[in-house]
Formats: sequence, structure tokens, C-alpha cells
Amino acid sequence: MTIKIIISVALGIGLGILAIPQAIAAHMSIMIDIGLCLLLFFVGIDIGNQGNILTKIKKMGLKILLVPLMVAIGSITGTMIGGKLLHLPINEAAAIGAGFGWYSLSAIELSKHSSELGALAFITNVSREIIAIITIPFVAKYIGKLESIAPAGATAMDTTLPIISKVTDANIVVISFITGVVLSSMVPILVPMLMMMSR
Amino acid sequence: MNFLFYLAILVLGGLIGYKNLLDDFWVKKLGCIQNYVLLFLLFIMGVNIGIDEDAIKYFHVIGYQSIVLAIFAIVFSIFFVKLISKKVLQGNEGVGNDN
Repeated sequence: MTIKIIISVALGIGLGILAIPQAIAAHMSIMIDIGLCLLLFFVGIDIGNQGNILTKIKKMGLKILLVPLMVAIGSITGTMIGGKLLHLPINEAAAIGAGFGWYSLSAIELSKHSSELGALAFITNVSREIIAIITIPFVAKYIGKLESIAPAGATAMDTTLPIISKVTDANIVVISFITGVVLSSMVPILVPMLMMMSR
Repeated sequence: MNFLFYLAILVLGGLIGYKNLLDDFWVKKLGCIQNYVLLFLLFIMGVNIGIDEDAIKYFHVIGYQSIVLAIFAIVFSIFFVKLISKKVLQGNEGVGNDN
């Protein structure tokens, strides 16, 4: 499945660059929305088939919120260290990390400061999504199922959720959705907040 | 809010699965259909990135920096989640890790 995932994404990017006309661009988001809704519906059926998921999730309680918290701390710390190696201002690197893979919002927010920073946030978070799509199956297999939510960041509630569903189980899918919702809610607050810290 | 819409779809699917409203034929085919739709969605997402001229243009200029930042964000996220995974999954049979 992992190989098929990599081939699908690579083929799409390659054809997008070389063969598919720009005129198609306007229809892309609607196609993504339809595909995503269909997959989330199937993921829902999988969860429903497990029967007692909500009881298990309830038993875990507020501990679940540790997952988005750790993903947030990890993402921001990681980009701060990466930014240090690249000689980027630490607050800018942290703000890029706080995009958690939500490239449109983080890029728009950071473009207010400079177009270069907006572009860097955009490409970093696009790269994060692509790397997440490719690595989630490996992380689930070799590191742990819960850890496979980490690369996804904010996309854990939508675009990468079907992949997490394929390689983990229904409990992890529910935690993933909650993680994605919490992280997505944090992006519009954290990105400007981290940028303000420099002043 | 997008997530409310996604949640509604998940809940709708969940109810159908929970109440066994799909006949056996579709339940058996579900995994296969899911694979095809997933691969198609990933292909379309790839196309969406490929036809974005800005993404490609900027990638040539700042691609290296972006990949370094993205990898660091992912590696550290995994590391921090690893620290709490046992605590979160504690006492939940069938939810444990592979290793």
C-alpha cells in the first residue's frame, strides 16, 4: 500500500507539472472535497463496525488531548531547531512549525509579515503533508500506531485521516480526528502569537 | 467550519456501520473501494500541488529549507508523542502499539 501511495502522489505531481492544463485547477478542490467526503464516510462505517469505540475513547478521557499537545510542542521545537541550523530567526521558524501542515492558513498569516516568509511557510507545510502521506504507514508499522498521527499534524482530521485509518485501528482514527481538530483550532492563534514574540 | 462537516460525515458513516445497514456484499467490498478512492484522492492531491505554479516556483528556491523544517517538525512530533503514547493507550486492550 505504501508504494502505491508514493506512486499515486508522485504521478499526480508529475502529471500536474507536465501534462495537466492550468484550466483544470479550478475544479481540483471540488474533486478533492468529493473524494475526501467519500473516504471519511467509509472511515465512519469502519468505526461504526467496531461497536464499542466510544466507550474506549471515553475511558481514555482527557489524556487524549496530550496527543495534539505533544504534536504541537514537537512541531514547534523541531522547526526551531531546524531553523537554527538554517540561520532563520527563531520566532519565524517556530511560527512556520505552528502551521502544523495547514499550508493555506499559515502561509496567508505569515505573508502579512513578508512574502518570503509566507512562501517558506507554504512550501514547508506542503512538504510536511507530502512527507506525512509517505511516512505514516512506516511510522505505524515500525514506531507505533499512536505515533503515526504525529506527522499528520492538523491534517489528521481530513486529508491524512484515511491513510491513518488504513494502517491503524478505529480507536486511533477517533484520536486522530480529535487531534486534527485541536491542532487546526490552534493554528490561527499560535502563528500570530509566535510572530508577535519577536517584537 | 470544515471539521463540523467532516464530523457529520464520519458520524453518518458510523451510524450506518453501527446499525449494520449495509448488506454483506458492500461490507466485503468496502476495503477495496476505500483503497481505490484513497489512491485516486492522493493522485488528485498530487496534481493539485503539481499544477500550482507558485508551489513549484518557490520549491526550486526554498525547497531545501522547507524540507529540513518539515522533517524536523515531523521527527520531533513523533518523538514527543512517543513519550506519552503508553500513558494515553494504557488500559485499552487492542489499542496498543505494534512493537
